[in-house]
Amino acid sequence: MRREKLGILLALTAVLVTACGGASGGGTPTTGAAIVFGAAVSLTGAQSKEGGLTKQGYDLWLDWINQRGGIVVNGVKHPVQIKYEDDQSTPNLSATLVQKLITDEKAQFILGPYGSAATATDAIVAEKNGVPMVEANGAAQSIFSKGYKFTFGVLSPANKYLTGVLDMAATLSPKPTTIAMLTANDNFSVEVAKAVEEYAPTKGFQVIFTKQYPAAAPEVSGLISQAARLNPDIVMNSGHLAESIAINKGAKQLGLNAKIFAYSVGPSTPDFIKALGPDANYVFDGSQWTPQVKYKPSFYLSVSDYVKAYKTKYSTTDDPDYHVAESTAACLAFQKAIENAGSLDATKVRDALAGLDVMTFFGQIKFDSRGINTFKPMVVEQIQNGAHYTVFPADVANGKPQYPTPSWSSR
Amino acid sequence: MSQFTQQVILGLLLGGVYVAVALGFSLVWGILNIVNLAHGALVIVGSYITWDLFTRWHVDPFLSLPIDALVLFVIGYALQRGVINRVIRAPLLFTFLLTFGINLIIVSLLLLIFTPDFRSVTPSYSGSGLHLGSVTIPYIRFGGLVVALLLAGALWTILNRTRIGAAILAVGADRDAAQLVGIDLRHMYALTFGIGAAFAGVAGGIISTFQSITPTAGDPYTLQAFAVVILGGLGRVSATVAGGLTFGLIEILGQSGPGPGYANAIAFVVLVIVLVVRPRGLLGRLA
Repeated sequence: MRREKLGILLALTAVLVTACGGASGGGTPTTGAAIVFGAAVSLTGAQSKEGGLTKQGYDLWLDWINQRGGIVVNGVKHPVQIKYEDDQSTPNLSATLVQKLITDEKAQFILGPYGSAATATDAIVAEKNGVPMVEANGAAQSIFSKGYKFTFGVLSPANKYLTGVLDMAATLSPKPTTIAMLTANDNFSVEVAKAVEEYAPTKGFQVIFTKQYPAAAPEVSGLISQAARLNPDIVMNSGHLAESIAINKGAKQLGLNAKIFAYSVGPSTPDFIKALGPDANYVFDGSQWTPQVKYKPSFYLSVSDYVKAYKTKYSTTDDPDYHVAESTAACLAFQKAIENAGSLDATKVRDALAGLDVMTFFGQIKFDSRGINTFKPMVVEQIQNGAHYTVFPADVANGKPQYPTPSWSSR
Repeated sequence: MSQFTQQVILGLLLGGVYVAVALGFSLVWGILNIVNLAHGALVIVGSYITWDLFTRWHVDPFLSLPIDALVLFVIGYALQRGVINRVIRAPLLFTFLLTFGINLIIVSLLLLIFTPDFRSVTPSYSGSGLHLGSVTIPYIRFGGLVVALLLAGALWTILNRTRIGAAILAVGADRDAAQLVGIDLRHMYALTFGIGAAFAGVAGGIISTFQSITPTAGDPYTLQAFAVVILGGLGRVSATVAGGLTFGLIEILGQSGPGPGYANAIAFVVLVIVLVVRPRGLLGRLA
C-alpha cells in the first residue's frame, strides 16, 4: 500500500516536472538527436594546406553552434556532429568517401571538400543520394552547369576572381593597358582566365600574352622569360599557391617588371608572405573575403568577432584567410536553411537552401537557379609592407592601392 | 634569337637541378638495383633542412648544402642498414613496396613536423642575375647548375678514383664475387644508399631557393629522376648529366614552342624514342 502511494507520488512529480518543462519550453527548447554532417577534406596530399583551412572553418562553427546546444528545429535543439574523412587530395577518392559518409556513417548533410575537382565529383554522389551539399571551395561554374539540384556553393564563382582587379586597374593613373596571363590548365583556373580575356577589352585592356601550363607544375621560368620580353603592364596568374610563389620568384630572377602583379590564389594566405618576405609586397589578389570587410551580419558573429574567435581557437596571430571564412559560411547556410525548413528532411532542407537569402560576416548568401552564390562581390587585396590591405571596392576598403609596383631593382 | 638563347640557358639551368636530383637515384638503382620511390621525399628533407637553417639562423642556402648532405647521408645509411638491407635480395616488387612505404612515412613525418604550409628560401640576392645583353642568367639557378656539376664530378671521382668507389662498383657488378674478395656487403649497401641520399639532400637545398616546398612536393622529383635516368642511361655519371640537361632543355623549350602543357608529353615521347632506338639510354652501358 505504501509502495503504491509512493508510486503515485512519483508519477505525479514526473507529470509536474514535464508540465513545467513544457511551460518553459517556449524559451529553452528540449534536446533532440544529433545532426550528422559529413565532409571529405584533403588532410594529406598536395592540397593538405587548403584542406586544413577548410576544416578549420567548419570546426569554428561547430564549436559555436554546440555551445548554443545545436541547431533549433521546431523548438528542439539538435547538437551537431561533423564526421571527417581524408580524401588525400584525390578527387575520385573524395567521391568514394562521400558515399561512405552517407551510407556507413549516416551523414544527413554534406559539407564540401577542398577544390573544384573534388567538389565536381562529390556533387555527383550528393545528387545520386539526394543529400544536400553546401560547398565552399569549388568555384568552377562547370560544377553547377549539370543541372544538379542538391549542390550549393556559398562562394563567388571563378569568373569573378580577377575581374575585380581589372575594375580597380581601370581607376588607376597612369592607366595600365597590356596584360600577360599565365594559367594553370585545371577547370577553375581556366574559367578565371577566360573571364579575364573576355572582360579585359570591355575595360580598355589588351591581353598580349596568354599561356597555359600544367597545374601543379612549379617550373614556369620559360614562360616568364617570354612574358618579360613583351613588357606587360599587368601580370596575372590564375593558378594555385605553389605557382604564384614560383612566378613571383621567377619574375624577380628574370627581371619581369610589371605595374601590377595579380594572382588568383595564393597571396591571401599567410604562407605567401612568409615564403617571399618583402618580395611579396605590392602583389594584388582577388579574394572571396578579407578580415577587413564591413558586412552587417543578421546572425552568427560579426567580422571582428569572427577574427577574434579564430585566433583564440587556433592560438595564432594570423588572420583567418578566406578559405576558412567561406568554409564557415557553408555551415551557416546549412544552419539557416535547416532552421527555415523546420525539418531535417533532405528535400525540405534542399528547398530551404534554394530559397535562402541571409547576410553573414562572409557577405550575402543567396543562390541563383544553378546553386551559385552570384550575389556576393569579390574584393581586391594588396600586400603592403608585409600585411594584407583591402583596396577595392572603395566602400569596403581599408587601404589605397600602392601603384605602380616599383621595379625589382629599385625596391 | 636572343629569346631562343635565353630559353636554352634556362633549360640548362633547370637541367642542372634534374642532374642533382637524379645522380643519387641513378647510383642507388645502378648499384643496389633498388628503384627508390622515397627519393623525392629525401630531396624534400634536404629542402627543409636548408629552409630551417635559413629561417632560424640566416644560414646562406648554399652554405647549408654540406649540412644537408651530412644529415641525409646519416639518414640514408641508417635506412639501408636497418631496413632496406633486409629485403635487398628479394624480388624487385618488395623493394618497391618498402621504399613506397618509407616515402609515405617520411612525408607524414614532415607533415607533422613542418605542417603543410608552403615554405621557400628567399635570400637577398635571389633576384639578381648576370645580364648579357637581353639574356639573363639568375645567379641562384646558375649556382644550382654549378653545384650539380660539382656533385657529378665528385661522384665520378669517388667511383673511379677511390677504393670505396671500386668496392661500390664491384658490388654493383657482382654481389657474390664482391663478398668473396672480402667486401662487407651490408656496409657497402648502406654506404651507397647514404651517398645517394646525401646527393638528394643537396638537390633539395638547391630546389628550396627557387620553388616553394611542402611535405608532398617531392613526388614529382621521383618521377623526373626516373625519366632522367632512363633517358640518359644507367651506370654512368656522364649519362645522368646528359639525361638531366636534356630533360631540362626539353621542358623549357616545350614551354615556348607548342605550349607548357606539352612539355611533359614531349619529354616522354623523346624517352620512348630513345628506348626504341637506344634501349640503354643516351650514354648508358649495357647491363
